Amino acid sequence: MKLLWLEIFKTFSRWRTYIAFGFIALIVILTEIVMKLSADEIMIRMMRSLQKDFLIFGNLLNGWFVTAFIMNSLHIHIPFLITLVAGDIVSSESTSGTVRLLLIRPPSRSKIITVKYLTSLFYTTAIVLFLACMSIFLGLALFGSGDLIMNYATRFRIVFIPEAEIPVRMLLAFAAAIWSMTVVASMAFLFSTLAENSIGPIIGTMAVVVVFFLLGNFPFDFFRALSPYLFTTYMIFWQRFLDDPIPWQEIARSAIILGLHNIGLFLIAFVAFNKKDITS
Amino acid sequence: MKKACCLFLLLFLFSPEFVRAQEDPSRYLDSLEKKYSGLKDYRVDVNVHFDIEALKAPNMQATLYYKAPDKMKVDSRNVFFFPKEGGYFNPSLFKKKDFDVRLLERLNYEGRGAVRLRLTPTETNRHPQGFVLTIDTERNLIREISTSPSEGRTLRAVIGYGEFANFELPAHIELHLDIPSVEPNGMKEFGSFGQRPKRITGKVKIAYSNYKVNSGLRDEIFNEAEFPKLK
Repeated sequence: MKLLWLEIFKTFSRWRTYIAFGFIALIVILTEIVMKLSADEIMIRMMRSLQKDFLIFGNLLNGWFVTAFIMNSLHIHIPFLITLVAGDIVSSESTSGTVRLLLIRPPSRSKIITVKYLTSLFYTTAIVLFLACMSIFLGLALFGSGDLIMNYATRFRIVFIPEAEIPVRMLLAFAAAIWSMTVVASMAFLFSTLAENSIGPIIGTMAVVVVFFLLGNFPFDFFRALSPYLFTTYMIFWQRFLDDPIPWQEIARSAIILGLHNIGLFLIAFVAFNKKDITS
Repeated sequence: MKKACCLFLLLFLFSPEFVRAQEDPSRYLDSLEKKYSGLKDYRVDVNVHFDIEALKAPNMQATLYYKAPDKMKVDSRNVFFFPKEGGYFNPSLFKKKDFDVRLLERLNYEGRGAVRLRLTPTETNRHPQGFVLTIDTERNLIREISTSPSEGRTLRAVIGYGEFANFELPAHIELHLDIPSVEPNGMKEFGSFGQRPKRITGKVKIAYSNYKVNSGLRDEIFNEAEFPKLK
């Protein structure tokens, strides 16, 4: 446990760890200000499909909607921010030449790699929680509260979630988002274990995430058939908590598949680190 | 030969088609206008139930205010969707002067005499599309409103009435919708690109209760800001 806290302390003493938090704060503040200034335009675009036939009353552009909107960008910028730390956490020891010093100390290699992995997960959780707090609190302060209208454009479906249900659903959605992002952290961590510098793991992880997202979303049958085999397909399962009814089976399936990816990626990293030759 | 001609003429004169062609169907709208001429305003609680696959929403409650001839306002603490057409009762909507009226048929509607009228707007600015009304001629009540298909959308409202403050006003309206879906700029999901837009079809059931009729609603009630309008 002490080792874990030391690793977390070490990670959070580096200035680069805070790049992600600063970036998230900037993105959230800018997005919410712009949304506040273009509220009417957003509402019209959002409700275009219904406005011809329905009169719409109430505060649709509220803090919860803004939070869901920002969350939707999770799969774009958050993976990059995660790789900044998870892709560097092991390889930086090689780059700075401290890996030998680290491995001749009493804690076993297994303990060290596990602690570093847990630190990566802690950092991932911290980033997503920071995003949650920033979007929710700033969103509620700027836009107020209200019912959440989720407009699933690509499924031509509008889902209405009453205000009373939203906090619990958001909590579950953010928990699912953390779970999704841990796969990115695991992958960056594995690459970091295999590499001797930090750039490779960061670029490598981002390349895999972006390519998998693109492959899974090309509108061709071949790529559609491929999408169940890509972990990125399951990473948006947080959105299902904002659906009606909540598809629990689909959520459980996605969570298990992502969990298995985490275990697999960590085990490879574990074995690789234990077999790492530091003598040459 | 002369007798045969007379008989044919008589048969023609008394044929239902001839009678239908001779009567002025706009008198049914006149009767409606007269019946509700005393209705100046009302306030009513509405409960809307959506039975539409593309719109997953729980029942919504609001208070609706109406003031003749065409002021309407909805007051709700929460988000509220309300059908633009056929969702609330406006007796001034079908004024004789605004439409060319044609009698389509006489029929029996729930055991009462009724007529079906086609209303074609004389000014398309005021009413962009026409209507088909089914009117209970014994009680002078609009029982069904159908909009003429326009831009691929059709709508049919079936109205059930109750007696409120000496007026027969809607107790429930069932709206049958079949409208095309416009792809909105909403929550984009991965994994479902390339799908064709589906139609929004289904029913909206609106129940009305606690009418307060002719309570002298002030005009200011209707001036508050609404949802931004589609440009």
